[in-house]
Order: sequence, then C-alpha cells, then structure tokens
Amino acid sequence: MALLSALRRAAIGSALALALLSETGCAGHERRVKATLEALDRNAPEQAIAALDEELGVAKPEDVPAVQEDEALLLLDRASVQLARGQHKLSARDFGAADQGIEVLDLSTNAAADIGKYVFSDDSGPYKAPAYEKLLLNTLNLLNYLAMRDLGGARVEARRLATMQAYVKGQGDESALLGLGSYLAGLAFEKSGRREEALLHYDEALRFAQYRSLRDPLRTLTQGKKTRPGIDALVGEAGALAPLEETGEAEIIVVLGFGRVPQKMPVRIPIGMALALVARELTADQIAQANALVAQGAISFVNYPTLGPGRGGYEVPSFGLDGKPQALEQALDIEAQTREAWHKREGTIVLSAITRLLARGVAGAAVQGGTTAAINAASSGNDNRNKDGAAALGMLLGMATNLTLSVLDTPDTRSWSTLPARVAIGRVRVPAGKHKVKLSARGMARTFDVDVPAGGWAVLPYFILR
Amino acid sequence: MQPLAFLRHTSAVLVAAALPSLVAGCGGDPTYVRGSQVEGLDDQAMSTGIDKRDIEQLLHENMKSLMASPLANGWAQAGDKPTLAIFPMINETSHHIEGQLQAVLSDEETFMVNSNLVTVVSRERQDQMIAEVERQQGGHFDPNHAAEYGRQLGAKYYITGKVYTADERAYGEHRVQYFMFMQVIETATSAVRWQNKATFTKALIRD
Repeated sequence: MALLSALRRAAIGSALALALLSETGCAGHERRVKATLEALDRNAPEQAIAALDEELGVAKPEDVPAVQEDEALLLLDRASVQLARGQHKLSARDFGAADQGIEVLDLSTNAAADIGKYVFSDDSGPYKAPAYEKLLLNTLNLLNYLAMRDLGGARVEARRLATMQAYVKGQGDESALLGLGSYLAGLAFEKSGRREEALLHYDEALRFAQYRSLRDPLRTLTQGKKTRPGIDALVGEAGALAPLEETGEAEIIVVLGFGRVPQKMPVRIPIGMALALVARELTADQIAQANALVAQGAISFVNYPTLGPGRGGYEVPSFGLDGKPQALEQALDIEAQTREAWHKREGTIVLSAITRLLARGVAGAAVQGGTTAAINAASSGNDNRNKDGAAALGMLLGMATNLTLSVLDTPDTRSWSTLPARVAIGRVRVPAGKHKVKLSARGMARTFDVDVPAGGWAVLPYFILR
Repeated sequence: MQPLAFLRHTSAVLVAAALPSLVAGCGGDPTYVRGSQVEGLDDQAMSTGIDKRDIEQLLHENMKSLMASPLANGWAQAGDKPTLAIFPMINETSHHIEGQLQAVLSDEETFMVNSNLVTVVSRERQDQMIAEVERQQGGHFDPNHAAEYGRQLGAKYYITGKVYTADERAYGEHRVQYFMFMQVIETATSAVRWQNKATFTKALIRD
C-alpha cells in the first residue's frame, strides 16, 4: 500500500512537472526572432540588432559567438539587418561567420539528430539551409563588398557563389541560379576590368531574367560584337557604346530590397487533414496505427510548421536621381523562391510530424502496459485495489511519457527570417560629379549624396525589412 | 523487474530523452587558451581558409626555392644588395584571406631583410607611393601598375604573386586546393627572374 502510494505520488509529480515544462520548455525558432521582427516592423533596426545579440548571447554587435547550431541562422539575420543599416563591414563579417558555420552544419551527419527528428522534434539537430538561402548568403555579401568598393572581396564572394551554384546544380536542384547573384558577380568583374569573367556572369544572369539595365553595360563590354546568344539578344542591333572613361561619365547602381519573406509558423491541423496530405507517403500499417490512435481519442491534432504571409510583396519601390524618376526592375522575387522551396519539402515535414505522433503513442502505450504488468506481478494476486491502482498508475506514466515527448516536439520553424521579399535593381549612367539619389519603398525613403569621378561607379544598397 | 526499479528505469529513460533537447543551446562555455597551454593547438585545421601552419609552409617552400635560384646566387656573389620591393599578393581565391596574405608578405619581408642579399623598400614608403599613384582609384594596389610602382620606388626588382583556388564541393565534402605563384621581376626589363609555385590543400570531410 505504502509502496503504491509512493509510486502514485511520484507519477503525479512527474506528470505535473512535465506539464509545467510544456509551458516553459524549448520554444520554436519563431519565438527567438519575434522581438527582432517586431523591431523591424517598427523600423527600429538597432533594437532588432540588440534582440539578436541577446539571442546570440553576446554583449554587442561586434561580437561573434561560437557557431554550433542555430547561431549560424541568427547571424544571417543579424547580417541582413546590418546590411539594412548600411553597416556593411559588420554585415560582411556576420555573413562570413554564418557561411562557415552553415557549411559545417550542412556536411555534418548526426545519427542522434536524425533519430530525434523522427521521434522527439522536427528541430532536433542542426539547421540545414535550403539552396536559395545558401545562394543568397553569397549574393548579399557580394553586395556588401560592392557597397564598400572592395572589388577583391566582391570577387571572392562571386567565386564562392559560383562554387555553391555548381554544388546546388550537382544536387539536382534547378534553383541553382538566382539571377541577382550572377548580375552582381558580373558587376564585380566588370569593374575590376575583367571583361571575360564579367560576360560569363552576365550571361548567367540573363538566363534567369532579361535585365534591361544590363543592355548598355553589355554594349560597352561587347563593343557591338557577337559573344553569347543571351547577351546578343539583349544588345540587339543597338551597337557599341563608348566606355565611361571616354565619355567622362560615371555609373550609379542601386539595389533596393523591401518587404520580408514569409516566416515559418507552427500550426495545428486535424490529424485527418494531415493524413490526407501525406496518405501516399504512409504505409498501410502506419495508417492503421494512426486510425487506431484517432479512434481511441489519443491524438486529434498534428503540430507542424507552415509558411505565414509575406510582407510588402506588392509594393512599388521608387528610384529618383537629382529629382528625376529612374527605372527600376525586379532583380529577384525571394518570396516566390521561399514558397517554392517550402512546397517541395512540405510533404516530408508533415510526414515526420505524423511519424513522431505515432512514436509518442507507441511509447506511451508501452510504458502504460509495462508499469501495470510490473506492479501486478509484484503485488499479491487477489488484491483488486492494487490492480486498479496499478492500471491507474500505468495510465498516468503512459500519459507522462506522451507528455514528455509532446513537450519536446517543437515544429521546425527555423529559416532566414530577415530576407527581403523582393529585390529591385536600377543602373544609370550619370555625368561625373555630385548627385542626390533617393530610394523609397514601404513608406520609408533615404537620400544618398554620391560623388563619382569620371569612369567611376557607386553601388547603393537600401533594404527596408518591414 | 520490481515496481520501484521499473519506475526508476522509466524515469531515467524519460529524463535521458528529455534532457538533451531541454538544455539545447545551453552548452558548455567556450574558454580562451594560450597556444602554450594546449599542446598541438596549431595542428588542427579549423576551416578551409589559410592558417599559421599553411603560412609557414608557403613561406618555407617559396624562400627555399628563391634562395636556391641562380638569381639569389647572383645577388650573393655580387654583394651589391640591389633594391627590392615586395608588393601585395593578389587574392584570386574563393576565401577572404587578405589578412593571411599580409602575414605571408610580412614574413617574406623579414626573411629577405635578414638574408642580407637585398635592400628591401620600406612598406610605409611603398604604401604612400601607391596611394598617390592610385588616388583616383581609392589608393588600392593595382597589379597592372606594378612595374610603374617599382620604377617610382627606384627598385631594381620587385616580388609579386597571386593565390588561386580550385574549390569543389561534392559527395557531402568540400575541398579547396590552393596554388600560390610567386615571381621576382626585374623592373627595367619586366623579365621574370625567378618563379615558384607552392600548393597545399584544405578540406572539410566526413569522419
């Protein structure tokens, strides 16, 4: 009797402790960046940086933590915000650290994490960045180096991007080309006086989209000669254009990122709907098992991540030069890339959520059965009160097991949250000298005072992440 | 199994399952250490970039080759200590190794000064002159103008170099092969008087 009471107290204590843990245990990644995104919505990038510093466990933006798991992702977020603040050196440093961290995580295989993914939680183990994020990392860092007029650094990022593009292509991913990266890589080589490499990258960019802003630079680079079909098609019969050095002109390139990609959000969907989503992926045994658990009322909902709404996707940005409006063209629709990558993986994610649900049900049932049997075996055979107690205790421990695994199951909402929804680009020849460039989007505007010498150039990034 | 033992076992399993995830992100604090405190601290590669060990290897290979060359023998025999400018190495790699290349350059400068075979142009004077020549281009070193810098500095020879990489990812691994080319060029004729290639490989591989 005393033994059973002690067991009961222990089991109730365990269940209560676990219930409490479910309120205070590991939150999903979306909670880690909540303060950052709210700060960006208020147009307070400094507060966004402070929130990220806190999550990274560092005292100031100049500090870089050891990159072990999700720090790489938080560094990507901090790098984007620093880029938006015009802090290109800090942004480049953060991108560099994140790049190295993501590479190590990407190549690491961890059996425990893989098991965890299927039993405990979808965000067990290291973050594996999707292809478009890896490519955008080098693309945005290229932009940092161009903004700093560091062509050597820009060329390094261009080479890193090319290596990553080849790798992604080799993996059979057709999203190996993002256009903007190749455009900026071409620009880095063009301004370094490396014509052939510039043409190679521009040609790649044109396979992604017909960038009208490349027409005049290509007329200069090709001097009216036929080079590659994509380039020839864009240049058409326009003929050669004299280089900036000869005309005494300069060039201004603006890159305007605005809005924000959809964030991953945890959702609860009815088990029936989840089963319908992945019915073709489940075995007959798994479906029968799931149906049995549903019939017992043991499970009714599945937790899994989904994409929330994007921000600013329909915005029309503007580019003014010395008071006159200039043309902008879309360089990249990152929101579309995000959704496309997500839809490819959604089935797998729902499937693993159901797998974990079944694992929890099986573990709970095993603990319940085992506890009841063990207590019954240990107590005298005719004591019905002991048997009832054993059954109740078994049920309680089964619940505790289920609850433990539920506490640990957080939908994987990890993603690069501070990417702009879209990026626009504008490129104009201007007389050498001082100019006022005004960029605006999402109710925000910034004026840049630029002084460019003859034959010179300036790259002006402006990111509004709200 | 006795009830208490079973419960203890069950609890242990639950805690073992729960604990790693509940404390995820709360790993041990990193500690700063001195090289003298940890044996072999410089031995392990920490990335696919260039580290101290690689710099030492590059310097050793290049300087060994230069000292064994007919050019250095000529310097030793003539004993007139011609003026030598040491220009920055151009980074044509897929890694941001400008800082490390600066270290290679400083080590080379030290080696050449201590060799007593040449008179090395001071870095300060060199940088000042390059900044003046390249004022329009932000004062950065332009390898295409190396001969002009050499002439303006009154250097009879100058050392220049480039580092390339063959950077590949495949089968879940990443390999970077580095190729460092170095040359001593005679300023007056632009003739290459000595050239050497040093190579090494860094990789991120699966265990």
